[in-house]
Amino acid sequence: MMVDAATHAAIGGAWLDAVLAPRSDFGRRAAARERAYVPGEEDLASERARTTVALAAAFDAATLERVREAIRWCPDPTAIAARAAAGDPLADADFFELGRFVDALELVRSQWPLGVPLAPPSALDAVAAALAPGRERRGFYLADRFDAELETVRRLAAERQAVLDSARSAFEASVAAMVGASVRDGEFILMRDGRAASLPPNVRVIREAATYIVCELVYDDRTLAALSARDDAHSNVARVEERARGTLSAAIGVHARAIVAVTERLGECERECARAAFALAWNACVPTYTSGAIGWENASFPPLAEALVQRGRRYAPLSFAWDGVAVLTGPNMGGKTAAMQTAGFIALCAAQGLPVPASSARVPLVARIAWIGADDRDDRAALLSAFGGEVVRVRGLLAGAESTLALVDEFARTTSPSEGRALLVALVQTLAARGMRALVATHFAGIARETKTTHLAIAGLLHALPIGATCDLDAALAALGEAMDYRVVAVGPDDEPHADAIALAELLGLDPSLIAAARAALRRKRSGAPSASNG
Amino acid sequence: MSVAFDLFDCARAAGTRTIAIVGTAKNVGKTVGVRALCESARARGIAYAITSIGRDGETSDALDALPKPQLTLPPGTIVATARDLVPRSPACEILELGERSALGAIAFVRVRATSRFEIGGPPTASGVRRTLEQLARIADGPIFLDGAIDRIAALAGGDDAVIVATGAQSGATIDRVAAVAGDLVRRLSIARDDGSRADAIHIDGALGPERASELIAEHRGARVVVTDPTRVTVRGKLFDQLNERLELRTTAPIRVVACTVSSYGREGALDPRALVRAVARATRLSTFDLFAGLVA
Repeated sequence: MMVDAATHAAIGGAWLDAVLAPRSDFGRRAAARERAYVPGEEDLASERARTTVALAAAFDAATLERVREAIRWCPDPTAIAARAAAGDPLADADFFELGRFVDALELVRSQWPLGVPLAPPSALDAVAAALAPGRERRGFYLADRFDAELETVRRLAAERQAVLDSARSAFEASVAAMVGASVRDGEFILMRDGRAASLPPNVRVIREAATYIVCELVYDDRTLAALSARDDAHSNVARVEERARGTLSAAIGVHARAIVAVTERLGECERECARAAFALAWNACVPTYTSGAIGWENASFPPLAEALVQRGRRYAPLSFAWDGVAVLTGPNMGGKTAAMQTAGFIALCAAQGLPVPASSARVPLVARIAWIGADDRDDRAALLSAFGGEVVRVRGLLAGAESTLALVDEFARTTSPSEGRALLVALVQTLAARGMRALVATHFAGIARETKTTHLAIAGLLHALPIGATCDLDAALAALGEAMDYRVVAVGPDDEPHADAIALAELLGLDPSLIAAARAALRRKRSGAPSASNG
Repeated sequence: MSVAFDLFDCARAAGTRTIAIVGTAKNVGKTVGVRALCESARARGIAYAITSIGRDGETSDALDALPKPQLTLPPGTIVATARDLVPRSPACEILELGERSALGAIAFVRVRATSRFEIGGPPTASGVRRTLEQLARIADGPIFLDGAIDRIAALAGGDDAVIVATGAQSGATIDRVAAVAGDLVRRLSIARDDGSRADAIHIDGALGPERASELIAEHRGARVVVTDPTRVTVRGKLFDQLNERLELRTTAPIRVVACTVSSYGREGALDPRALVRAVARATRLSTFDLFAGLVA
């Protein structure tokens, strides 16, 4: 589905992405495999949303969060499995990570709400069983049980190490006694002033300084024989350990595909949990996918609802419906933009097969959602005026033939009212003629009547705003919130839009004399009296 | 072994869990000091753990290709090193994986058979601190930290006993070596701020020469508090002036407990007895030449 950056930002796409953001590499890979549903895939989208709602209904947010976190910290065995499958002997740290993966998987399986098997249990049980001899404690050790010869060669190596240590210590002690110096790592230092006339055999000078010499031991035959025997024993240990690793790696490699399949399923589980958590948080429902009228009951625009709640203010869910193209009017700050954002957000969720934040919804799958607003100029249009930017976006909107949900926010509000209104009428007529679905917010009067489209309006102020300007913006917004009826209602085509602009300006603290002058000017205009000024 | 035991006892007397060794330059016997600690612990039957700041203990130095001693570690030792540096044989027990490093995640391993180790710990100061915390959870006994010249920031915020390693590699004369060691020890040994002066000037970031000069000129006698001693980047006489004219304090002091010296370097050798005495004088700390078996 096409959603350009400006639209994505306007309809809460970034918010939704953040809420659903994968936390693990499994989730990221699963997200990369996902795509939006397109027209014709309504059944698939609906099925996906139903799965999510079922998950949300069955489990609480804490459980879903636990599963997400368990998956997040699950080590990724994909590369290890691939190397094992290719026949590479793995390292002990790889076995350790596989062990942690098996543990984490068990945790996810125990928590996974629907009990869906994450993999053929036999495959993972076999991996766990293969690793088991090395996992008697929490980590991993290539234990003797991995190869019949290991215990023997290790014991021999330890014995020979002890013989070497003993021979070396004895030799070093004998030389140290002869020269009167402490030997460290086969070397020692002799001060020239205290030096014996000659060095003992098996000692050679490796460095001379003005006041001392540094000597190195040349080990005797007994010590060298012990060293050679120890090295042979160590080589044997290395050989048998490598054989054990090879055997264990092959046993893991047999199940490599199952391991990779599990990682894919883990990613999907993480995505499902994130979706279900969203559905749970917003009481989301499975939408009815429709090609007819669009509408919803008690729909939310979560980014706004969340922001308002954080500020201690109420959020009013919206219920409205329309068919084809609708014109939306209403007062400033009455929620026209929020209503359109709600429409866009719900369409976006529906396209992802995601339950929508409403108690019920009828929504189409569209190939494109397009937001047209004066503030949505992209970089290329940065040199254009606000109106110019809008025109460029409208041109783009009309260039596509895909099924589209267009959300047009006060198009042409920044140009001359008469020409702007004419352009808007033409745009609405064009959208309707092309069978597009659109919601067009405006302050221009008579657009719905002239274009013969549905007229929706924000109910508006329930009562007069409190008189007396305040400089406290939060208080003003709270007063406005109490006075405003944010419902979207269907009205007659001839109903005039109410902007309530002067009352709002007064509430927001504009100079009282200016407010009085504006009211006088409005009265004169309505009564047909001439203007008081020459302008 | 007696000098090594003396060093071990001196460091343990600080009562800290971690004993860190930092050098005034490369090739000043830092790893020799770590080995002495390891061997002393082993000889006394004390289990220990070990890690490093960055990579060290390799057969030849990664920077200057000089031969460097590896560490031979006995069974039971807990090591935190990059997973690519864990010897493949004899096999170790992998206990945990932690911080990332260029050579793979830091692996916490238990040595099961005597093995030679190249230790490469986390490259960042914060990573080192987290690794030490993880080691403290996993292991019993002392934890040895093989430090790095230019990464003393890793010592900040920890409760470590610090041994300063110096030697002929950090100066051409005994006086110079002693001066460099004294300078580092004084910088690291800034006293703890007791909070008794409400007018203290707190420095959040580094205290470099420019800021130090300004404080000396404009706030003579003031108490200046740095977050930890590693934030002070002032050296030499300017540092001495800072100490003399201001009350320099820190909220997280570092405990320097001893010095070690190595009397020979690439360019020449110094008299070990004179060197050990000079460094002890300059730092006012017990000073050990582990190779020559000297203590001052």
